[in-house]
Amino acid sequence: MIALAAALFLPSVAAQAFDDAKYPAFTGRWAREVVPGEAGQPPFDPAKPPGRGQLAPLTPEYQAKFEAAVAERDAMGLGDVVATTCLAPGMPMMMQAYEPMQITVLPETTYILIDHIHESHRRIFTDGRAWPKTVAPTFTGYSIGKWIDEDGDGRYDVLESETRFFKGPRVFDSSGIPLHEDNESVVKERFYLDKADRNLLHDEITVTDHALTRPWTVTKSYRRNLDPLADWPEYICKEQIPFIHVGTEIYRVNQDGHLMPTMANQPPPDLRYFVRPKQ
Amino acid sequence: MLYRVSITAAALAASLCMTFAGALAFDESKYPDWKGAWSRVAFPGIVGQPSYDPTKLPGPAQQAPLTAEYQAIYEANVKDQNLGGQGIDPTYTCLSPGMPRVMTTFAPFEILVTPQMTNFLIQHIHDSRRIFTDGRDWPEKIEPTFVGYSIGRWIDTDGDGRYDVLEIETRGLKGPRTYDPAGIPLAFDNQSIFKERVYSDKADPNILYDEITTIDNALTRPWSATKKYARVPVKQPEWVEEVCAEGNGDVEIDKQGYFLSGDGYLMPTKKGQAPPDLRYFKQSRE
Repeated sequence: MIALAAALFLPSVAAQAFDDAKYPAFTGRWAREVVPGEAGQPPFDPAKPPGRGQLAPLTPEYQAKFEAAVAERDAMGLGDVVATTCLAPGMPMMMQAYEPMQITVLPETTYILIDHIHESHRRIFTDGRAWPKTVAPTFTGYSIGKWIDEDGDGRYDVLESETRFFKGPRVFDSSGIPLHEDNESVVKERFYLDKADRNLLHDEITVTDHALTRPWTVTKSYRRNLDPLADWPEYICKEQIPFIHVGTEIYRVNQDGHLMPTMANQPPPDLRYFVRPKQ
Repeated sequence: MLYRVSITAAALAASLCMTFAGALAFDESKYPDWKGAWSRVAFPGIVGQPSYDPTKLPGPAQQAPLTAEYQAIYEANVKDQNLGGQGIDPTYTCLSPGMPRVMTTFAPFEILVTPQMTNFLIQHIHDSRRIFTDGRDWPEKIEPTFVGYSIGRWIDTDGDGRYDVLEIETRGLKGPRTYDPAGIPLAFDNQSIFKERVYSDKADPNILYDEITTIDNALTRPWSATKKYARVPVKQPEWVEEVCAEGNGDVEIDKQGYFLSGDGYLMPTKKGQAPPDLRYFKQSRE
């Protein structure tokens, strides 16, 4: 027992040589590849129009939830249901890479860092581990990956990843297409560089979820930023998102700091805990 | 300014482009092994919220060398906190603690070392940092951030062919920032400069130190403190996901802090606090 603890405690010292020539050049700064004609918030499937145009294979129950969310959002004039809460977008929405995405490949883990709404640290473990018996659920999920040398040239070219153990609420994109409240989603991905353009990265994502009638597959693409000095913006949700939730109501805080309704005839917050309501 | 490395932008770009092609070999054995999860070490007898100098109790015991102006700001802040307010600590609304407070590291953090960059992945409110070690010079213009813009340099102090110290300088800050939850302020001009030396304990590689010196216009002299972290002795650490907005009961309206009760109502945080101004609502709740 003591020996095991000591072994775990030992730093991995100089013996490890990370031969990064064995891995594809994923490490770097990537930006979402905008599809020609795309406007507005990026949808889950970049190849289709947002919202209903995504043709999400939702069950009737979740299609109804989606329609209700769209109607409510339209009534409030809110463009993005997720961002009103500053909760983490989680998987798979975070892979829209609304802000620049850092990928760092190390032998044991591939890191995907995206600072949008929440500072998301996605770790894809490639150290050969098995699924743990228990994992604290997260918006980002728990990802295990496997490197594959598809063409047998001695160099990996595909990272396959599977992600489980989620929490919610999560949606596929900012139009509010929902994932199931049971959070039992399974997300499988294949990351690879474009054969003809090594500065283009693809992520084939297949989501299996109880809100769907069948697995839903899309391919996202990212363009490498070749500017070594490119800026990494800091996204502080509180600075960007002027909404607060009080009970079941969403209010806006305007530029002068005052509370405002988000829809016509919205009642103000109940001030029962204040001794003397302001006139 | 430190680290004015005479490297041309073109040479830097060329060296980095080599990485993109995968041709640059990353020899991990040249860097210290800082893998795993690191956790803040609490010093004996130090209780309460962790502060800038971990060897001293929080609040006045920190003996922050504040100017008279900022000492007065700090004391007014303490008064407000004693009444139930937040004082000038901005993090209750999920603003980033920024530098140097992020290095308090509330949850275990990870350090990613690559030749071009070292990441401190600190999951708390919005605390992570990038330290650029690619030989870049200071940019002419920096978009200010709470964690600042950090340039680092690896040093092999004992000449054994392996780096053992990461020296960092951080500029380009924005605010408001405080050193700790007690509200010890940094200057509102955000001209702070932080110099750090991060290194492992010579006798115990599972102990890491961060010597931080803060130069700030709220201080009468540079203020130094040494943070201490211990490697978490598990092979597969569990990484916590902290989402500040999740369950945060504090809101800010009209520059006033209010609290959301468990039953979904707005509450005052201080005795006699006025409710928010509802001028934009046409109807009353009644």
